[in-house]
Amino acid sequence: MAEAKERTGKKRVMVAIEEHECSHYALEWTLLNLKPTISSPLLLITVQPFSPFTYVAAASYSSPPQELIQSMQEHQKQAALTLLEMAKEICAKHGVDVETIMEMGEPKEVICQVAEQQNVELLVMGSHGRGAVERFFLGSVSNYCVQHAKCSVLVVKQDSGKKN
Amino acid sequence: MEEVTATVVIEGAGVGPEVAEATTAEKKGFKVVVAVDDSEISHYALSWAIDYVLANRREDCQLVVLHVQHFVETFMYPVAGHAVYAPTLSIDAVRKAHEENSKRVISRAVDICKSKHVDALTAVAEGDPKDAICEAAEKLHADLLVVGSRGLGMIKRAFLGSVSDYLAHHAKCPVLIVKPPKGSHK
Repeated sequence: MAEAKERTGKKRVMVAIEEHECSHYALEWTLLNLKPTISSPLLLITVQPFSPFTYVAAASYSSPPQELIQSMQEHQKQAALTLLEMAKEICAKHGVDVETIMEMGEPKEVICQVAEQQNVELLVMGSHGRGAVERFFLGSVSNYCVQHAKCSVLVVKQDSGKKN
Repeated sequence: MEEVTATVVIEGAGVGPEVAEATTAEKKGFKVVVAVDDSEISHYALSWAIDYVLANRREDCQLVVLHVQHFVETFMYPVAGHAVYAPTLSIDAVRKAHEENSKRVISRAVDICKSKHVDALTAVAEGDPKDAICEAAEKLHADLLVVGSRGLGMIKRAFLGSVSDYLAHHAKCPVLIVKPPKGSHK
């Protein structure tokens, strides 16, 4: 059985925030149902992918102008910050303290890495509910994390008609 | 692909079948279904769920322990070119063995629940684990499905398939995949 120190009744939880609203839904679900056992602060992570720049290079037939790359990065950063702000508001509404983490890189890998670094005990993610074919080609962050994260993972699907 | 029918039998802990209670929607607030099997990790997952999901909200939550038995099929095996049906006796023996196993798994799970002062309903389904758990979770109107995951390596996972991966994507309700505590594997 686990040591006593692990069962203080609260656990370290990290919620992955992505562009899709399913991650906000996952956050709400977690706050509604698991709030008593979340240790403060709740971690919110968002990861900006590097990838959009590859198609910019292709479209320009050569290396794209520096300003374009910079403005894209800025734009992405803004988008990520907005997502985090929205998530923070949701948490504030439920009276939960948060700590936000913003990283750049391959989302699925970074989420798992940070989860380990931060000693997260529960990782929460939304699921896009993409079909099998889409998931195969586009990859799925939640799928990867379920397989590779060392901690427990909660996948919350945004399913209409499933009442709480 | 063979037809998979999951027959779900639900019993109150130790008492006779109480099918109606377990399948009625929202009789109790929050329904947590934990799928258990022989493995250590699934019992750890049950403990984890009780400690961290049910926590202090025992009155609000309903816990259902679910075990899936493999189908006992009438199988044919070719013997020296002639197909032979398995004799009835051996089918019964296999079925009995499965049921014994089921009882053991369930009773161990119920013991865990009792030691943590939780009243759990038990359910047994038959069939292919992936589909049977999904179907059972739906029939039971689960608000959360909990499974343990051994963290099979990439290759094993590709060949053996992974119940928890499947459930994470196909179950209609949120799925909690519990991994072994740090330091117990690797």
